[in-house]
Amino acid sequence: MAKFIGRRLVYLLPVLLAVTLLTFLVASLLPGDLASTILGDQATPEKVAALRAQMGLDLPIWQRYGIWLWDVLHGDLGRSFRTGETVWDAVTARLPVSLELMVIGVALALVISIPLAIVCAVKSGSALDRFFTGLAFGKLSLPNYMVAILLIYLFAVELNWLPATGWVPFAEDPLANLKSFILPALTIAFAEWPVLMRVLRSDMIATLQEDYIAMAKAKGLRPARILLVHALKPSSLTLVTVAGINIGRLIGGALIVETIFALPGIGRLLVGAIYARDFIILQGVVLFVALGFVMVNFIVDMLYAVLDPRIRHGRA
Amino acid sequence: MTSIASRLFKIMLPLAAVAGVAASPALAQKKGGTLTVGVELDIAGFDPLKVGVYDTSPNIAASLFLEQLTRLGDDGKPKPSLALSWSASEDYKVWTYKLRPDVKFSDGTPFNAEAVAYNFNRQKDPKNNCRCAFYIANTLSVEAKDDLTVVYTLKDPAVNHPALLTRPDQNSTIHSPTAIQTKGDDYNRNPVGTGPFVIKSWTAGDRMVLEKNPGYWDKNKPNLDRVVLRPLPDAQSRFASLVSGETDVVWADEYEADNIARARKNNALKVLEYVGSGAGVAAINTKVPPLDDVRVRQALVMGLDKKKISQALTNGLARPATNPYGEGSWVKCKDDGALPTDPKKAAELIKEYGKPVQFKMLFTATPRGRATSQVYQQLWKQIGVDMEIEQVDQATFPPRAFQRKFDIIGWRIVDFPDPDVQMFANFYSKSPLNLANYTNPELDKLLEESRATPDEGRRTEAYCAISRLLNKEATWFWVFQNSYYAMTKAKVQGIPKLYGGVIDVSNAWLD
Repeated sequence: MAKFIGRRLVYLLPVLLAVTLLTFLVASLLPGDLASTILGDQATPEKVAALRAQMGLDLPIWQRYGIWLWDVLHGDLGRSFRTGETVWDAVTARLPVSLELMVIGVALALVISIPLAIVCAVKSGSALDRFFTGLAFGKLSLPNYMVAILLIYLFAVELNWLPATGWVPFAEDPLANLKSFILPALTIAFAEWPVLMRVLRSDMIATLQEDYIAMAKAKGLRPARILLVHALKPSSLTLVTVAGINIGRLIGGALIVETIFALPGIGRLLVGAIYARDFIILQGVVLFVALGFVMVNFIVDMLYAVLDPRIRHGRA
Repeated sequence: MTSIASRLFKIMLPLAAVAGVAASPALAQKKGGTLTVGVELDIAGFDPLKVGVYDTSPNIAASLFLEQLTRLGDDGKPKPSLALSWSASEDYKVWTYKLRPDVKFSDGTPFNAEAVAYNFNRQKDPKNNCRCAFYIANTLSVEAKDDLTVVYTLKDPAVNHPALLTRPDQNSTIHSPTAIQTKGDDYNRNPVGTGPFVIKSWTAGDRMVLEKNPGYWDKNKPNLDRVVLRPLPDAQSRFASLVSGETDVVWADEYEADNIARARKNNALKVLEYVGSGAGVAAINTKVPPLDDVRVRQALVMGLDKKKISQALTNGLARPATNPYGEGSWVKCKDDGALPTDPKKAAELIKEYGKPVQFKMLFTATPRGRATSQVYQQLWKQIGVDMEIEQVDQATFPPRAFQRKFDIIGWRIVDFPDPDVQMFANFYSKSPLNLANYTNPELDKLLEESRATPDEGRRTEAYCAISRLLNKEATWFWVFQNSYYAMTKAKVQGIPKLYGGVIDVSNAWLD
């Protein structure tokens, strides 16, 4: 097992290198840079060139990447030219918000999707199954921002139960903190559950046709026990994969939800950095998000091993 | 009744009727309470060297904890703030300001002429590469003559210089020199001013909390104990936050026409509207065919039905502009020479020109840029003109403008308390921003005259002559006036006119 973990961890390094290098390349393809942002609308091209030289933006890209990488390896993620914040401060101030949003959102999605998937798998082909799979399909075509606005109008404006926007730090007021996350997390859960539910449902249908399930039934085990203990675990491999990928995506990608609900998360930091061509922040955020993504995948791989012992022994 | 007051009355009357309250002046100002303001964008910071230029959100914040030498009164004239009085040399190139004594920055640093000069010199220093330096290009030096006397020396005359110092922007706000020096890179997010509030806490992307400055020089101010500023980037949830009571005031613009209409129908809400000076405009490159022909340019202007555009883009809320000054400007023209909206005549002019009229127009790559471009394209198609839309990134826009790499480019005449700065920059033949590539000695003469003449009547004449000339030559066209909106709870009082779009709540109170 240790060897397995070690091997997986070694794989992470090239991934991180590739992601950060790619961001560097893509970001440098964007028209305009920090120098033109700092100097603004009315700057002459000569002034922009001068500032670019002063900030080292005229160096070849591999050299700039090298400098950045060297600094990162020495623990210096840099400081935003524009705000004066260090990347570390900017990211760590916002990461908890995105993480909490992601955790609550995915948890809610699982709470919705797992029971529905089980019910639909057991009653596969029934009216109930068709209703929920149809609903899931319908929900897939309803965009996030629409759901968010609908939730705001219902729960904040009409019923006045929950805040429409904003965020309270957990340390300040845990209850208010949770309240401020309910609507954004519900928006995310609504976006995630159809996929999770459909994946689990189809895997579960396949599992339920296995011989050992028939065996279990023949032994007279209670249906609930068969479903939750014997069938759910082997059926959840794809679910874990999809949920994992989505979690990774949500760390940096809950942008729309963060914007609509005005949550100070990573997604908004990232977009702000892109608009301002604040590449130091951009690189830092991407590094953190990539790290998060890679870690989640690592954990998913570990879960595979737990769920399916064959993987652990390298025979799958 | 002065014209400004009557205009204000016209704006306020329907609101008062809808809200069911009588407009009663001089309400008693209540003390205490917290006001939460929803602004649009995150604030990057306040150090001019870092952020370059403040946009509306930092302007709104700056009006709470920073101050300028002067402020703009409700009559549009400069009033004392950190300066008590001022005088100009005969040629209006040297301005002397007497400063308010016994004022301290909230970190205890005394406010004096040295502080004013320090702020200026830091921005002006070429080594600092400040984007903000562009806007003080006309100021050669700022010197402390004695502790409370500061002298501005200008390159070109500015008859209305005190008005130019009124905006809570990157150039005019006075920051604590001690704080700038001791905080270095961290000053940007830990700014210190002399204003009625001080920043208590600031969570990036979430909220800035400001509290009453106990050492403020005007003991009667402010009314509120606390102001909270929150960036709420999404227009729908910003409006929802006002309706549900999380915010008391929210920023809005004409693209939110539906919400503004809803707020006007809601008794619990008020809409503040102010039409400023300047306008959303476009410059036509007069050096490239077919736009070098005045008939084509005139046809393009006459073919654009601005009312239709306003209807299509802003539900009719945006106000068509016929000159570069706008309703909020003191420049009022009896005749600004605006060409009529007349698609038929426009089509005739294009026919008369004889050759096919094809060109590209440059827009920003934003949803609004796209929507606008499509409306223009349709309207021009109807007069027989083929406009190709070119959308480019914000960052590519300025270089393209400077290098004149465009046929027509969308632009803005920025809202300034005096028209001179923008007029000179955009229309003077030798200005780097003479985007139309247009040279006319008569225009130059009028521009030179209007910046050196103190008499408002004569300046108005010159500016109206400029407008007639520009409209006749159709080198630029004006689309919508700069107008600003805020929606507030009915109980919020004491917000002055939204000059330059700034919602100044520094003297507001809750009824």
